[in-house]
Amino acid sequence: MSRPGFVLEVDDRTPPLVVHEGLGFRLESFPQGTRVVYPPESLPAIDDVDTAIREALLNPVDADPLPTKLRAGMRLTIAFDDVSLPLPPMRAPDIRQRIIEAVLTMAADAGVDDVKIVAANALHRRMTAAELKHIVGERVFRSFFPQGDLTNHDAEDRDDLLHIGLTDKGEDVEINRRAAESDLLVYVNVNLVAMDGGHKSVPIGLASYKSLRHHHNPQTMVRSHSFMDHTKSHLHHSAWRMGRLLKDHLDIFQIETTLDQHVFGAPYDFLMKREWEWSVRDQASMLAMRRGLGAAPRRLRHRLFHDLRAPYGLTGIHAGDTEAVHERTIATVHRQQLVELQGQSDVLVMGVPYLGPYNVNSSMNPILATCMGLGYYFNSYRGQPVVRRGGAVILYHPLNEGFNQLHHPSYVDFYEEILAESTDPAVIGEKYERQFAEDPWYVHLYRTSHAYHGVHPFYMWYWAAHAMDHVSEVIWVGADRKVASRLGFRAASTLADALEMASGAVGTNPSISYLRNPPHLIADVSVPGQP
Amino acid sequence: MSWLRDGVSDVRRTADGWRWGRRSQVPRSAEPFVLAPQTTVFRTDWARRRPARIAREVTQKGALEPLLRSQVRARVEGLDVLAGLEGPVIFVANHASHLDTPLILLSLPDEWRRRTAVAAAADYFFDTWWRAVGSAVLFNTFPIERRGGTMATTPGEVLAEGWSLVIFPEGTRSTDGFVGRFQLGAAFLATKHGVPVVPIAHRGTFAAMPRGQGWPSPGRRRLTVRFGEPLRPRPDESPRDFGPRIKDAVAALLDEDRSTWWEARRRASAGATPDPAGPDVAPWRRVWEQTAPVTDPGSAEAPRAWSGRRS
Repeated sequence: MSRPGFVLEVDDRTPPLVVHEGLGFRLESFPQGTRVVYPPESLPAIDDVDTAIREALLNPVDADPLPTKLRAGMRLTIAFDDVSLPLPPMRAPDIRQRIIEAVLTMAADAGVDDVKIVAANALHRRMTAAELKHIVGERVFRSFFPQGDLTNHDAEDRDDLLHIGLTDKGEDVEINRRAAESDLLVYVNVNLVAMDGGHKSVPIGLASYKSLRHHHNPQTMVRSHSFMDHTKSHLHHSAWRMGRLLKDHLDIFQIETTLDQHVFGAPYDFLMKREWEWSVRDQASMLAMRRGLGAAPRRLRHRLFHDLRAPYGLTGIHAGDTEAVHERTIATVHRQQLVELQGQSDVLVMGVPYLGPYNVNSSMNPILATCMGLGYYFNSYRGQPVVRRGGAVILYHPLNEGFNQLHHPSYVDFYEEILAESTDPAVIGEKYERQFAEDPWYVHLYRTSHAYHGVHPFYMWYWAAHAMDHVSEVIWVGADRKVASRLGFRAASTLADALEMASGAVGTNPSISYLRNPPHLIADVSVPGQP
Repeated sequence: MSWLRDGVSDVRRTADGWRWGRRSQVPRSAEPFVLAPQTTVFRTDWARRRPARIAREVTQKGALEPLLRSQVRARVEGLDVLAGLEGPVIFVANHASHLDTPLILLSLPDEWRRRTAVAAAADYFFDTWWRAVGSAVLFNTFPIERRGGTMATTPGEVLAEGWSLVIFPEGTRSTDGFVGRFQLGAAFLATKHGVPVVPIAHRGTFAAMPRGQGWPSPGRRRLTVRFGEPLRPRPDESPRDFGPRIKDAVAALLDEDRSTWWEARRRASAGATPDPAGPDVAPWRRVWEQTAPVTDPGSAEAPRAWSGRRS
């Protein structure tokens, strides 16, 4: 029996609470009365995953069974979510491997010869062979990768892009040519959070910059309230328009999966437990980990965290028509992650952990940390933001990991040159986005190395646009002051200092909410008189 | 050096935050979400065997009794009711403090104490192995489920082995010192197994060490323990009828302890024994009354020739 999420009110009986901060965590004593939002515990996982996959493929939603769509001589393309999902990476076997193997088994039975598998990485970095192998499994990897039939999507390969048309709002729909010209496109998704999946899979995952710029821009991002609610996200509205246009040109068989909350395996599972329920062993693990991290050099800490593989369980799998499938997927995600919260707070506190979608096997640079805190976590709400307009956000992260030159070369220039001039998403987007997007060196690195696209740091900054527009203060606890200042924020040593600094905006006795994640949660915030 | 200092600081915060050495607490707003404790069947047969009995005798007489006497002053009355009585019996008492069990056990004559076991809440005293072992060795406890469920050993089996039982029918310690609702477990056991019930009333333990306190208050508070005449269930008496009789007997003993045997008897005959549940007044007044020092004008509190006090 999994317990629902709930809102703790800190009192004199509350022990110090875990707050993640990059390659570590701290124990924080919050002021009494602070609301702490705890995610629901894991839903029961499906025991027989292979049978569940087969059932979903044979009995899809609003679509014919997969075997009836497969025939000899057809062109079949299988696309799948890239390394940015799930977080942390799933302990082998990855759910995508099991699904792709099931699809390929049916394709082999039907005599399909022309099969290509493509990672839907959009403008993300190309995955390494090892990363691809971890996701699709050794058998699929060996059958397709050496032959060049298992590839990363290349959003800059003009020969391998096809312009499908324009939506009724004039948005370009341009996706991977091979996928667009296939008789059947099977998309294998991992719906870790509510913003994933649906029409965000194909029209975004397999798109080009020309198509992405219509929704990945400051204006759309500021109006997406929030990304975790696709019915109120302008980004998703745009993706949905594109998806419906694509549906008229292409047969898409969408397979979506949902995972439970098992983010940390033993002995780190104490990080997921409610602190007052920690056993003596959990307390000992915490102390040992704190001391170990305290003594370890940064490289070792990085390795310790980034080598973690999550023992996720599968909570749901649906296949068939994209929108019908996604409706069911979102219902499961909400059951797993939604927590009701009454009213907004003056201050929102969040701990930024070591990992986000864009630093898997990489470093959490200051821009990604901002995106994680003000983009992903801030937007983990439905209804109204957890913090009131004009309130303050307090984030925990040292902002000292620097930049990974292999993965994030354009981030360095973005940080050194663009943010030095302005931190306003609209201003920098208007002046510099096109320059970075079309820079030949960045394009070259994206296509041939393992670099994120030149425009990617802009997108990260746009993710935070809604939060920057909404709150008046952003303070980083334990952060490098120079870095925070470059980002346009302030740094504090302790929570007490941060609250003192925020008092100009929220007074000396503010209401505080702390989102206790990971695991993931969505705060379902209701405010009387507001939708 | 700072690594060591941070380590010490971490350990201190953990010890403080998770209340090392004390029972852990749940934040009030999290209480509705606490999982029901896992029922673990903890066997206590060994605690009634010879090695454990020897260990118990040593710890009770060698450590527990001197410790208790050093912290509180106890006066025991009515032990003569045990004369001519053969065990096993069920001792039934009101429950206001963790002092109650040692107080009652150490008030018993040695031959009775050595053959008495204590029914203890499985979810409280048997939630960890060390607490279970500790209480079983020291007090000869065996677990009972307050909320129903399976038990390793039933109280009936312990009775059948010839052990007397101490049962607190309220099921939990009083929050204000007054007597709460009596559950029917003791009455059920007495009627089912045909054993007498010896009512016990004690006063002062709430004032000396109420809920939430881990050690008796300073000043050697006065406690009183009073044993009552054994009650035997009638042949056709049901637990539902026998239960109130037990509670009335405890109430009469409390009344007797506050006044005199004769006055309490007269009030009991007239059906005017004060309700042990106390008056329906503000909570603070109930606590206030129960934390007043125990007085007994009949004996200990009477002025003595050398005290210089006059009444």
